[in-house]
Amino acid sequence: MNIFNKVLLKMVLLPSSLYKRMGVNIHQLKAILTTKLIMDDRRPNSFQQMRQKARRKPVSTATLSTMFMAVVVGCLFTYMSFILTDTITRFTIYFSFFIAFLASVLIADFTSVLIDVRDTYIILPKPVTDKTFVLSRLLHIFIHVCKIVIPMILPGAIFFGSHYNIVVLIAFLFMVIMATLFTLFLINACYILILKISTPQKFQNVISYVQIAFAIFFYACYQLVPRMMNKFAGFNINHIKFIWLLPPYWFAGTIQQVYEPVNTVQLWLCVVLSVAAPVFCLWLVIKYFAPSFNKKLSLISAGVSENADKTTVKQEVTATTYSMFLAKLFTKKGTERTGFLFTWKMMLRSREFKMKVYPSIGYMLVIIVLMFFNMKGLSFGDIRLQNSKGRVATLIVIYFSNLLLIGALGQITMYDKFKAAWIFFTTPVDVPGKIVSGAVKASIAQFFFPIVLITFVCLVSIAGIRIIPNVLFGYCNVLLVSAVSAYLTTNKLPFSSAPTIRGSVGMLRLFTVMILGTLMAFAHYSLYNITAVIIILVFISGGAAWMIFDSIKKYSWQKISSNYED
Amino acid sequence: MEPIISIQNLRKSYGDKLVLKGINLNIYPGQVIGYIGPNGAGKSTTVKILCGLLGDFEGGVYVKGVNLADNAIAVKSYIGYIPEQAELYDVLTPAEFLGFMADLYGMDERLARDRMTKMLGAFGLQGNMNDRMDTFSKGMKQKVLITSGLLHNPDIIILDEPLSGLDANSVIIVKELISKLAKEGKTIFYCSHMMDVVEKVSDRIVLINEGTVIADGSFDELKQQQGNESLEKIFAHLTAKESLNDAADQLMSAFD
Repeated sequence: MNIFNKVLLKMVLLPSSLYKRMGVNIHQLKAILTTKLIMDDRRPNSFQQMRQKARRKPVSTATLSTMFMAVVVGCLFTYMSFILTDTITRFTIYFSFFIAFLASVLIADFTSVLIDVRDTYIILPKPVTDKTFVLSRLLHIFIHVCKIVIPMILPGAIFFGSHYNIVVLIAFLFMVIMATLFTLFLINACYILILKISTPQKFQNVISYVQIAFAIFFYACYQLVPRMMNKFAGFNINHIKFIWLLPPYWFAGTIQQVYEPVNTVQLWLCVVLSVAAPVFCLWLVIKYFAPSFNKKLSLISAGVSENADKTTVKQEVTATTYSMFLAKLFTKKGTERTGFLFTWKMMLRSREFKMKVYPSIGYMLVIIVLMFFNMKGLSFGDIRLQNSKGRVATLIVIYFSNLLLIGALGQITMYDKFKAAWIFFTTPVDVPGKIVSGAVKASIAQFFFPIVLITFVCLVSIAGIRIIPNVLFGYCNVLLVSAVSAYLTTNKLPFSSAPTIRGSVGMLRLFTVMILGTLMAFAHYSLYNITAVIIILVFISGGAAWMIFDSIKKYSWQKISSNYED
Repeated sequence: MEPIISIQNLRKSYGDKLVLKGINLNIYPGQVIGYIGPNGAGKSTTVKILCGLLGDFEGGVYVKGVNLADNAIAVKSYIGYIPEQAELYDVLTPAEFLGFMADLYGMDERLARDRMTKMLGAFGLQGNMNDRMDTFSKGMKQKVLITSGLLHNPDIIILDEPLSGLDANSVIIVKELISKLAKEGKTIFYCSHMMDVVEKVSDRIVLINEGTVIADGSFDELKQQQGNESLEKIFAHLTAKESLNDAADQLMSAFD
């Protein structure tokens, strides 16, 4: 156990005599908390979960890395506050990010770390009283929250303490406590809502989507906010109507009133709300949410289905027919189509696949948006007129869509339960290349075509039908690049190998896509206005892509590097 | 003799569904009870109630004369529970996990350390005591679980499919262990689907189906009642609604 855990544990156990009077067994309480904290250290934290990790390399410093990340994030918030000049604006922005970040971390941790369903089998059959168990959970949540909040507010506290005065610093710290309570309520409310609209079985999936959305949001903030900040240095949040309805403004308002009181009803209302609302929320959680919440939560990962007996025969859903339609369009009957449909379903259902691929797609989208942001003076008019700026923008949209695909292509071979791949090795598959080809096509169909469709409609509606040959040529090139990279790097069966760090193969894929893509984009740009040539090239490029896809199909067992891994 | 476990008219329902429909059972010290039944019969529910995992039941459950509803903590300290699936915190090492268990039972640290070393040693896991269990095989995890259930030397041991994942030699060890524990006067509550093992290790077999006890007695008694058949046959005879032979025939007819 590291020093921070030790100190926090000591701290929460200080009122031991009080706990004892409440009827809590201190010895058991300490044992439970110690074990939980050791486990926290060894569990990949929220930041590490989404990243690719080397297998079999045990995590042992999860707490330290969480705390370090929290400091970095805290610095980012503080930097934003540093640029803004108006006090209330500064603190509103600070608390907005504080609440959003804390919520994003805790929302995942609540199910995976803080409320562990294995407790039911391990701790509850032991002679541990309810009081001891409940207190251990509360204190564990408290320690966990401290480990995120304290490092996160540290940079802010230093800045505000030195920039204002000690009174403001104390007010700030008090507001941090209130904001934390409010965030805990938000998470509870969010859980209750998700459990209302979905089943406990789907709960983990919904939480994953929320996590992915937060990850993309923070990446976007990280990329965009520093760039936008210079423009908003003089920004005053009071100009936004109804801003006083938002909780971060209450917390900021209270600090404002402590620092330089302004005599408006609105701001005094903020002071009242900043304290009353979190306390009221806490009461709401304890009184109404917690009892039903715990019961439902225990169902979540236990996989208990309340209506397991009601077996209903599900009708073939439309998604199946859609994938079947695409499968028929792109693959030949037999092994290839099987590979296509298998990969299609796995990509949609495997949570780990989605957790790795969806955020990377989100990051790419942010980067694309950023590139437009950096192209000063770009307008829809440029794309409509197809002047040089408009042409570059069009090509960026088309050629960058490739990057969205490589994340998915890189992941289709990996799976945590890779041992299930025995199905490929025990069945009489003569040419495994057909399965690989089906898998590659499925990932293209699932990730690339929707983007093609959206961008095609957008570009054509802005620039008219004359842009069509260029758009088609661009997409054929993108397909060709994907085909080449798949041919060079995807030599494994889908979902058949253990997740590993992307090594040389990943780099090779990235380089193929970057270099080949860039070369093609430049060539495309120089031929952009010669429509006849472009039309001919559409066929050549499309044909080449098709041929490469076809040759993937011929991969023999010798070329496939998948072995059944045990 | 006073029963060590006394279950009186035990009823339990999930929502509208009545899972246990009045179970009555007196178990005496030193008995090895083979608790069997088809899937969904209520075996796990009974076990979970006995271990204090499920609260809201009707009827009385007394362990060593203590009412479970009144003093679950005392009851829990008499029982060693070995769950079915490898439910354990696998990022811990066996030494850490078992140390944690010992703490929860309020055991002396040195005694616990000594016992776990001996027990894991007997299972051939001494060399793995300080390795994290996430790299362990199912059988290794099961051995740690068995150790965790016996560590505090309980009077009653509840085993829920304890042999799953164990290799043949370990199965022999566990079977031997069960009979030795019974000789020491421990009471064993053994839940399993493996009829041949139940037949061998238990001196009393309780068969439940759809929430009620439908047969209770030693294997010889059951044989006498049901016409000198193997436990597997007796089980099928008492619990299968339709002939299992017919089901096999139907499966075969799918080829036609």
